[in-house]
Amino acid sequence: MPLLLGRGVTKVFSRLIALDRIDVSIEQGEIVGLIGPNGAGKSTLVNTITGMEPLTEGSFEFEGRALHGLRPAAIARLGLARTFQIAQPLRNMTVRQNVAVPSLFRAGPAAGVAAALREADATLEAVGLAPKADLPARALTTPDLRRLELAKALALRPRLMLLDEVMAGLTPAEVDAEMAMLRRVSAGGVALLVIEHVLRAVMGLSHRVIVLHHGRKIADGPPGQVTRDPDVIRAYLGTPSPPGSAPRR
Amino acid sequence: MARGPQPRGANRGALLLAAAALAAALAFPTVASTYYIRLLTGIFMFGALASAWNLIGGYAGYPDFGGAAFVGIGAYTTGILMVRAHVPFAAALPAGGLLAIVAAVAMGSVLLRLRGHYFAIATLGFVIVLQQVASNLDITGGGTGMNLPVARTFTAFYYWMLALLVLAVTAGIVLPRSRVGYAIAAIRENQDAAQVLGIEPLPYKIVAYAASAVFFGLAGGIYASWFTFIDPPTVFNVDFTIQAIVMAVFGGPGTAFGPLVGAIVLKSLDTVLTNISVFFHDIFFGALVVLLVIFAPRGLAELFRAPGGIAAAIRAEVRGQRI
Repeated sequence: MPLLLGRGVTKVFSRLIALDRIDVSIEQGEIVGLIGPNGAGKSTLVNTITGMEPLTEGSFEFEGRALHGLRPAAIARLGLARTFQIAQPLRNMTVRQNVAVPSLFRAGPAAGVAAALREADATLEAVGLAPKADLPARALTTPDLRRLELAKALALRPRLMLLDEVMAGLTPAEVDAEMAMLRRVSAGGVALLVIEHVLRAVMGLSHRVIVLHHGRKIADGPPGQVTRDPDVIRAYLGTPSPPGSAPRR
Repeated sequence: MARGPQPRGANRGALLLAAAALAAALAFPTVASTYYIRLLTGIFMFGALASAWNLIGGYAGYPDFGGAAFVGIGAYTTGILMVRAHVPFAAALPAGGLLAIVAAVAMGSVLLRLRGHYFAIATLGFVIVLQQVASNLDITGGGTGMNLPVARTFTAFYYWMLALLVLAVTAGIVLPRSRVGYAIAAIRENQDAAQVLGIEPLPYKIVAYAASAVFFGLAGGIYASWFTFIDPPTVFNVDFTIQAIVMAVFGGPGTAFGPLVGAIVLKSLDTVLTNISVFFHDIFFGALVVLLVIFAPRGLAELFRAPGGIAAAIRAEVRGQRI
């Protein structure tokens, strides 16, 4: 049984078909890349999995359990964590308090506030934010905010993490550090769905890559195979040839 | 929730200071005249109201304008039980607090789905509706109001208000350190982020609202028995809420002692200015509020916490820099 299974997932916004009958599955501990041009439906897919947007048609199952009708908080407590494309820190709380929040509210929560704060220190150590534990989250730089998003997601003790562009705005060196961190997270048994524009990172990390284009799934396979797929190349580089003209090489 | 790092020594110092102030307050009626006992009873009442507003308005970040609705509910419940059912004050008062909680849960489960300005307007409407209801019922005495039994000593109300104040401030100390307080703070900071961290927002917002309402309700009950006469405009009175908001915001919303400090400073100043000139007191008071909103939009607490203290904070503000 896959960890996450989506069948015929469809999302329509008034007239726009954002997701068109998509089937997805993610296995235990797998790293799956999710790529596609802007507007392909990547963030919408994450929003529908986490219950932020209701599906128009289709269904999701997480560990065999239907997610239909569950609120975002309930889905998070099942062990399905997400990070946002734009970091969403709890700005006026300290970094340590930020990470203590999910510890207190996951299924099987920390024993109390003091225990959650101690646990937060350990998580911050793991993502390299320990020296900034006492700062208010609003004082963090962009790379540190990314680390905080990851630390909050980890504190939910998830089985699956949906990472929406965790590497946006990072320098190449920071991307390398982030990739190493995600590999460590994965080694701990957490499956990852990585949405990323930094192709080097997705291709380097993922066991499997899913490509979305105009709300459709156009490819799903190992990174090496997906990059050679003619549909994927066309989606990324465009089809300059109008009907009737000679195809360009 | 501490909005940022705070040294432990400062917390211990504040608690010691609070304990000393409480001891002084307990002894005060044995040495003071009736005038000052009455004055302090009023300060305690507004300290409790400001601390109560802070639970929903400061910690949860929901701009509640409906606190007066619970003042009225507490006042009328206490009054009706004492007058119509001859229940003693000490038993009627908790009933008022309980009914305030029930009303807060019922109204909160609807209104707390709204955000920001919409919530503020809806809660204001709630007060006006209840004022009209009270004006048109028989059991409340309608528009002519209701006379409560006159107590033998007014010093008792001093201690009732002091007890209420201590409870309200204690709630403001305990809440942000609790699991529920973490949920409320996370919802205030970012409701969407709070949800994906496992927090279902509405129940926690209702807890904050009910906690605020019970203190407004109890204050209304004590007020009714203290003043011995209530009618709809005096207890379903938006002025209670406005004063509580101004004091909490002045002192420092989202801090345990800020609202109390705001109540002490503003109520004392109000009294002094009234004694100097009844005509100018409103002008002075209004100007002061304007200055404070400009120089310390997040309250006195912010000025004291600013690097370099109050003077530096004001200089920075004049130069156009944010602290």
